[in-house]
Amino acid sequence: MEGARPTNSEERDGRSKEPSPSELLDRSKMLNFEFNGRRMSAFEGDTVASALYASGVRIFSRSFKYHRPRGLLCVSGRCPNCLMSVDGVPNVKACTERVRAGMKVKSQNCWPSLEHDIFSVIDKIGRFLPVGFYYKTFINPPIEWSRVEWIIRRLTGLGDIEEEIASATGKGPKDGRSIISSSFEHLNLQADVAVIGGGPCGIFAALEAGNAGARVVLVDDQPALGGHLRYSGETLSIDVATGEGAYSGLKSSAVASTLEKAVRDRPNMTVLDNSTAFGIYESNLIGIVRGNSEIRLRAEQLVFATGAHEFPSVFQNNDLPEVFLGRGMQRLINLYGVIPGKRAVVVSNNDSGLGVARTLMDAGVKLEAYIDSRKAVGAPETLAEIEDAKVQTFLGWAVKEARGSKHVSSIVICEVDNEGELVHGTERVVSCDLVSLSTGFETEAWLLNQTGSRTIYDELLREFIPRELKPTVYVCGDLTGIHDLNIAIMQGKVAGLSAAANLPAMARSTELKVEYQRKSLETYSRLVSQYEGKYREGMKHTRGPEVLVVEYPGSDKMRKRFVCVCEDVVAKDISLATFEGFDDIETLKRYSTVTMGPCQGKMCSMPSLHLCSRVTGRSIAQTGRTVSRPPFVPVAMGALAGAELHPVKLTGIHYKHIELGARIMDMGEWKRPHVYTSVEEEYKAVRESVGVIDVSTLGRLDVKGRDAGKLLDFVYTHIFSTLKVGKSRYGVICDDAGIVLDDGTVTRLSETHYFITTTTGNVEFVEEWLVWWATALRLDAYITNVTAGLGAVNVAGPKARDLLRKLTTVDLSSGAFPYMNSAEGEVAGVPCILLRIGFVGETGWEIHFPAEFGEYFWDTLLEAGKEFGVKPFGVETQRVLRLEKKHVIVGQDTDALSNPFEADMAWTVKFEKEDFVGKAALVAAEKKEPERMLVGFVMKDSMVAHDGDQVFSQDGSRHIGFVTSSRFSPKVGRCVGMALVSPEYYKEGSLIRVKSDDALNGAEVTLAPFYDPEGKRLRA
Amino acid sequence: MRALFRKEKMWQRHKLKPRYDVVVIGAGVHGLSIAYYLAKNHEITNVAVLDKVYLGGGNSGRNTAIIRANYMTVEGVHFYSESLKLYEELSKELNFNLLFSQIGHLSLAHTDSAVNGLWRRAEVNKALGVNSRVIWPDEIKRMVPALDTSDRPRYPVKAALYHAPGGVIRHDAVVWGYARGVERHGGEVHPRTEVIAIDVKDHQVTGVRTDKGEVIRADCVVNATSGYCTTVSKMVGVDLPVVTHPLQACVTEPLKPFLDKVVVSANLHVYVYQTDRGELVMGSEIDPYSSYSQGSTLETLESIVAHALELFPGLRHVRVLRQWGGLCDMTPDYSPILGEVDGLKGFVLDVGWGTYGFKAGPVSGKRIAELIATKRTPDIIRPFRLSRFREDRLVSEKGAAAVSH
Repeated sequence: MEGARPTNSEERDGRSKEPSPSELLDRSKMLNFEFNGRRMSAFEGDTVASALYASGVRIFSRSFKYHRPRGLLCVSGRCPNCLMSVDGVPNVKACTERVRAGMKVKSQNCWPSLEHDIFSVIDKIGRFLPVGFYYKTFINPPIEWSRVEWIIRRLTGLGDIEEEIASATGKGPKDGRSIISSSFEHLNLQADVAVIGGGPCGIFAALEAGNAGARVVLVDDQPALGGHLRYSGETLSIDVATGEGAYSGLKSSAVASTLEKAVRDRPNMTVLDNSTAFGIYESNLIGIVRGNSEIRLRAEQLVFATGAHEFPSVFQNNDLPEVFLGRGMQRLINLYGVIPGKRAVVVSNNDSGLGVARTLMDAGVKLEAYIDSRKAVGAPETLAEIEDAKVQTFLGWAVKEARGSKHVSSIVICEVDNEGELVHGTERVVSCDLVSLSTGFETEAWLLNQTGSRTIYDELLREFIPRELKPTVYVCGDLTGIHDLNIAIMQGKVAGLSAAANLPAMARSTELKVEYQRKSLETYSRLVSQYEGKYREGMKHTRGPEVLVVEYPGSDKMRKRFVCVCEDVVAKDISLATFEGFDDIETLKRYSTVTMGPCQGKMCSMPSLHLCSRVTGRSIAQTGRTVSRPPFVPVAMGALAGAELHPVKLTGIHYKHIELGARIMDMGEWKRPHVYTSVEEEYKAVRESVGVIDVSTLGRLDVKGRDAGKLLDFVYTHIFSTLKVGKSRYGVICDDAGIVLDDGTVTRLSETHYFITTTTGNVEFVEEWLVWWATALRLDAYITNVTAGLGAVNVAGPKARDLLRKLTTVDLSSGAFPYMNSAEGEVAGVPCILLRIGFVGETGWEIHFPAEFGEYFWDTLLEAGKEFGVKPFGVETQRVLRLEKKHVIVGQDTDALSNPFEADMAWTVKFEKEDFVGKAALVAAEKKEPERMLVGFVMKDSMVAHDGDQVFSQDGSRHIGFVTSSRFSPKVGRCVGMALVSPEYYKEGSLIRVKSDDALNGAEVTLAPFYDPEGKRLRA
Repeated sequence: MRALFRKEKMWQRHKLKPRYDVVVIGAGVHGLSIAYYLAKNHEITNVAVLDKVYLGGGNSGRNTAIIRANYMTVEGVHFYSESLKLYEELSKELNFNLLFSQIGHLSLAHTDSAVNGLWRRAEVNKALGVNSRVIWPDEIKRMVPALDTSDRPRYPVKAALYHAPGGVIRHDAVVWGYARGVERHGGEVHPRTEVIAIDVKDHQVTGVRTDKGEVIRADCVVNATSGYCTTVSKMVGVDLPVVTHPLQACVTEPLKPFLDKVVVSANLHVYVYQTDRGELVMGSEIDPYSSYSQGSTLETLESIVAHALELFPGLRHVRVLRQWGGLCDMTPDYSPILGEVDGLKGFVLDVGWGTYGFKAGPVSGKRIAELIATKRTPDIIRPFRLSRFREDRLVSEKGAAAVSH
């Protein structure tokens, strides 16, 4: 079997005979799944990794660069060694992914198979690939980077997403749907106290905060709470002083279950299991990922009980399969009933190695040796038990190298001197098929650091421990660098009580309870410092050389010492990079890529720090650590995006357009008819009889109040305070640099009430802008956005009056209702605001009415217009009609530098006003020669220019500007347009060239509208 | 190959000297390239580049390393296209492989007006000799098969501006390459050395003071900082029309190669490309508020990712590995501020780089060096002088630079 070790049948069933009480498995339920095309079986509760390991699989991946075989290491989702593709999803951690019946699992980054990967040849030439290799090679011809890059590119990357892309873009084998039917969602939660980490200290923190009345959310990334109590397999010894002496003498997993039940039974407690907090953001916002969901948790107080993780020490071949981290080994044995091997070696430099040795012995694995770099241990009674079991113990020894190809077969150990150096000539070979490393903890301070709280290196504990905590932040447990259950329990209680006590609006039940809590807090705080003191004393006695990175003469010759398993960075790379000048931990990271892989430094941050500090001679504390950026674990893009919802705005008439067969286009969030039949036909109707267009997407604002006119005078360049009631006026809004931002009409409906239209896309902006200035100037003016409430139709053409007369009693004659006037009245029985304006250049009314009448109003207009040949017209026809009139569209015929003078709209600027937004800039602009001017042009031949074409001088030698709009004009019979050009061309009859399709086409400048230049038709 | 196995230091740790000809504040690509070209082109080698943090620890290390020249204004196209040409030769020049991948750059349009904007850029680019053209969904689909070019998305892709010489570069390598170049030509690089004051006497800059108490004399001080260009200029009483906004980006786990173009959508405020290592790099437009925080927000991450999924729906299960933020010094016209300041001798600006500074590192370094050495402002940077704001001669790149890349 692929990736599997040749085994006999007994070993293939690699499970303990009797299920242990700590197991997460339901051995009565079997599940089948596929691994690289083969059928595999698992128990309910198994992870992909535990099921595969139990079936004999030992190689789980091939490494990023050298394609070396890699096996399980952390068994907790912290390292990159078991990344696989699951149901087409790449880079899934097999050690945390539960088996589901029928799932398809594939290995990654290898060919043809995990066991035999031809790319592993890269490993053999590894010494020709020093750190910074690519920076130093492929610089000059003939092997330039541009020639070799594509080859290197094809060799990199881990997971493959071809399948998913194919299915998402409709080329998939199935029905075009994603091969995984996943729905992603966002949830929002709030808490008084959030506790991150559901180990013993986190549970006690949650319980104490809950007892005090706080609403608590407990977040834990495991399926079962209890942290290491779940898998350590120890019999607990708990002091009475902690208040939890009753648990003493019990099995740790049983206590974990009891504690889990206690929190789950609490009414004011929410337990989020299988949930990983991935980021702490501004104002205590916690990003949490749980399956396909992202949970945003906002909490008043944060308790960090995130513990610590182990990392491997650095020796030759330390990456061989079956070299485990101690806690990973314990998980495999105690949570999944796996018997990991036959002959094990435990390598340690702290007391947790003793516990691992016990776990292995309890599981029936033969312990070949216990190796500890210290001369004394903190739990001599456990050491005695190990020795009693006839296990060889080596105190003051460390591992120099692991041997084996694809699997560990033995290790070489050496004596260690007082400086932590290996003693030459003391080598001994210990044969084994399993190595467990308990070579150091790193506090899991990643999330804590994101709060702005600091961590400092503690020389005694040899870990980065929390200091200078931000307000509302509390820590407890392994995260403090102290690995002691009694202390952890009390620290948890202190954290929970303090968090609750500092809640601003704590619902305090009774004075008595508060007093009790205050006393408990005092007591436990005192006890914690006493116990911590004792713990530190103990550390001083057992403390020996740490031996994180094994140095040995010739240690780099052929066998690699891996610092970073994600990116295949070896010890030599770090030393060389540091020597080359990358001695700042931040540049070291970027140059060597150490800590930048999928584990984001969880496995390599401490060893690389040690190496850097060794080369530079600076202490660990001086060397410091890199910034901890979110996310703490990689998070699926789908979960971050949530349900993909995209708002669509439809006018009240939208479905009538569909019925009429209109081609629909997007305009911002709106949907609008682009064209119904053809531009020619629609154009003809408007110019010769009558056309109707749905303009409900226009922004509409009501401005009311005593100072409404004053406000508009200040914000627009024109004057509106003098506008007579019933009149409309065109207006332009500029920013303080005099640049045109928006335009529209302003109609005065009463002394204190103006009705404004804005362009479709800008209504929110204009609303904000007006509100901002009304507030800043302290004006009595109130702005209401009425866009959604009003439908609007423009009825335009020589027969528009005839049509509307059939439907209204409002006097529409030119005498009674001239151009740029307004009226309120009923049309077809609907209350309306009628504006006589003429964007398309014909007699016409823009009619605003309650949106709910949209379909009725539209149908009634079309019905009444039948006898005149009325036609609905779309946006494209309107563009042609308005261009013939040279009516400017802001944003198309103007850009981010256009002032009203350049846009040929000088008449909209009234300098007689005392002040208005943009006045100073416009006064200056008026005095100087403009840099360009908006002009009209007519093409000389049949060429139709494109919006955005460039404009040149007549002889083609000078680039003078660009086309803003251009269309074929039925009126002119040729293409007409507008262009922003050098000011010397702002002259009737100037000759210019428009570069279209790479040809320079002649055109002539016109300053007047192309259609009805006197404006007789729109006033008729 | 010999160079590969030679153990060489890239730079040294120096003690600060009491006097330099030029002090450059900011050891990013701009500051270092100024020092490099001062030494290389003008033999001014008594130069120190100082930085508050590590080499390239500002935006040179935080930007997403996209190089292009397809700008909107004539001034912009000239300027960035000179920079692109310098970048094309820079690996050889510095004898350091900067991993410049000219994979091609696509700016997508999802609306009619955006199509017009692209057309205008394509035509301006062509007119000035820059390789750009508008392409349509069929061709886009062929270039980027993973992109959803169907009409299913809320805003389907309508067209793209294809800029073949655009691409990405290893941004840190550019910093290191220049830093080594500075040192080899006799200049000095001083990371973790913060300037806290600039001395001025009789309208002439005379030197700087550092956080460690050193007083350094220099007649020419260059402000080549990002994020803090306003605070540094304030040290000499110069107010800049700059507002600082955060800009955020993120990167995913490495994947097998499937995307070999830079894909930008201004309408969706997002850009995406895949590195040689297989990671997807994604970024956004600037955050809507001003701030000096380099922290990350969940909201922006969600928005970047959601928009990227609109373009590439097959990426839902791809995981984000890391997010980060940088600081963008935004000017009113989305163009930089380069050159001297009226009424203050010896103070040179290379600031206001918004979201487009990295692309311009080589050209501004070369031209600012020329300005310092010759005491004349080169024509190519004259449009970007500080006084343009007073003269109302803005160079608006808003249309081409509002979404950062």
